[in-house]
Amino acid sequence: MTAAAQAAEPGVADSYLVDRAREGYLDAYELLVQRHSAMAYRVALRLTGNHHDAQDVAQEALIAAWENLTRFRAGSSFSTWLYQIVTRRALNKVSRGRPATSLDLLPDLADPAGEPATQTERNLAVDAVTDALLALPFPQRAVIVLHHFEGLSYAETASVIRSTEPAVRSHLFRARRALGKKLQEWK
Amino acid sequence: MSGPVNDPPPGDPAARQLLGASTLACGTDVDLLLEQVADGRGADQDAHQQQCVHCQAALSEFTALWGPVAELVVAPVPPPPGLVASVMSQMRTLVRDVWYTLEITEIGAVQIAARVVAALARDCARMIPGVRVALGRSTESRIAALAEKATTGHRYPHAAVGVLGRTAIVDLAVAVTGDDPVHEVARDIQRQVIATLRDQVGLQNVTVNVTVDDILGDDER
Repeated sequence: MTAAAQAAEPGVADSYLVDRAREGYLDAYELLVQRHSAMAYRVALRLTGNHHDAQDVAQEALIAAWENLTRFRAGSSFSTWLYQIVTRRALNKVSRGRPATSLDLLPDLADPAGEPATQTERNLAVDAVTDALLALPFPQRAVIVLHHFEGLSYAETASVIRSTEPAVRSHLFRARRALGKKLQEWK
Repeated sequence: MSGPVNDPPPGDPAARQLLGASTLACGTDVDLLLEQVADGRGADQDAHQQQCVHCQAALSEFTALWGPVAELVVAPVPPPPGLVASVMSQMRTLVRDVWYTLEITEIGAVQIAARVVAALARDCARMIPGVRVALGRSTESRIAALAEKATTGHRYPHAAVGVLGRTAIVDLAVAVTGDDPVHEVARDIQRQVIATLRDQVGLQNVTVNVTVDDILGDDER
């Protein structure tokens, strides 16, 4: 797709593109991939803890979403549906036993204005959060990532993990305390 | 046994004490305070919190504790380059292509995938005034099925489909701006796509089915 063509589509609703993709317009789905691939990768990275697994999960999820478009319920949110698929695929990947060992959820945060010592301290803090996140049980990690990192509401988070709002809040309470304890040890 | 016993756990004792309690001395739920900070509402203090030293101290402690998390939340995570291309490449291998044969000579056959024809048609349509979105589809599925059947067992698979030889059928789904008469926009699309496929691909007999399925106003642009 040309840059001009991409520029021609801002603001077109996901639902319009989903409808066209279901009718066989592959380039409608390509626009959805362009819109949502960054989210798929970002969530997968935070859930699996390494770039290779995250890339696999994002790719698999985006293709699985297209292959299952007929199951997509009209009126629901495509992004919520994709969050579901990414989260499930990430769980499968993590539970297949390839432990997430890397600390590279993010490349070192660049801070051109910062002093080297301050920069190092910030990177250590980010690594500490990353470690603490990956140490959480998957359901707690998922709700932290979906609610706090992705900004989903309790209801949306519950929809993604197919749970209830009270259960999400309960997971979040436990997850925040666990994260907090890890972080205070680091401090 | 050597070394000290009963070493205090590492870290900030105040935070550790807070995270080990369910309520503050004033009766406030610790989880709710941590939730308030984690949701970015640490500064939105109610009347009690504004007056309570326990709540003030806890909110301050949690804000410092949660700082690195908040920093990670807003840090950009660029996707790997080529992710979109890789996904689309895998998807295209899952889609059956119908091939148009342009020419078969003693030096070989020239073929072009139907989806390439559709992409050219789509890009052409997008340049026409009044078109908001244009999406191209290779062929109608029944035509694709016909082509598949017609090529089965042929010496040159996909290469001699009479019904498709130099003929293309392109479906375009189009959303228009509503600034111009819809039927005139549709006619423009047909005329210009036919000319483009004739000039750029050599297709002589082109049918362009235009479906105008939406009008997108200013608020949707």
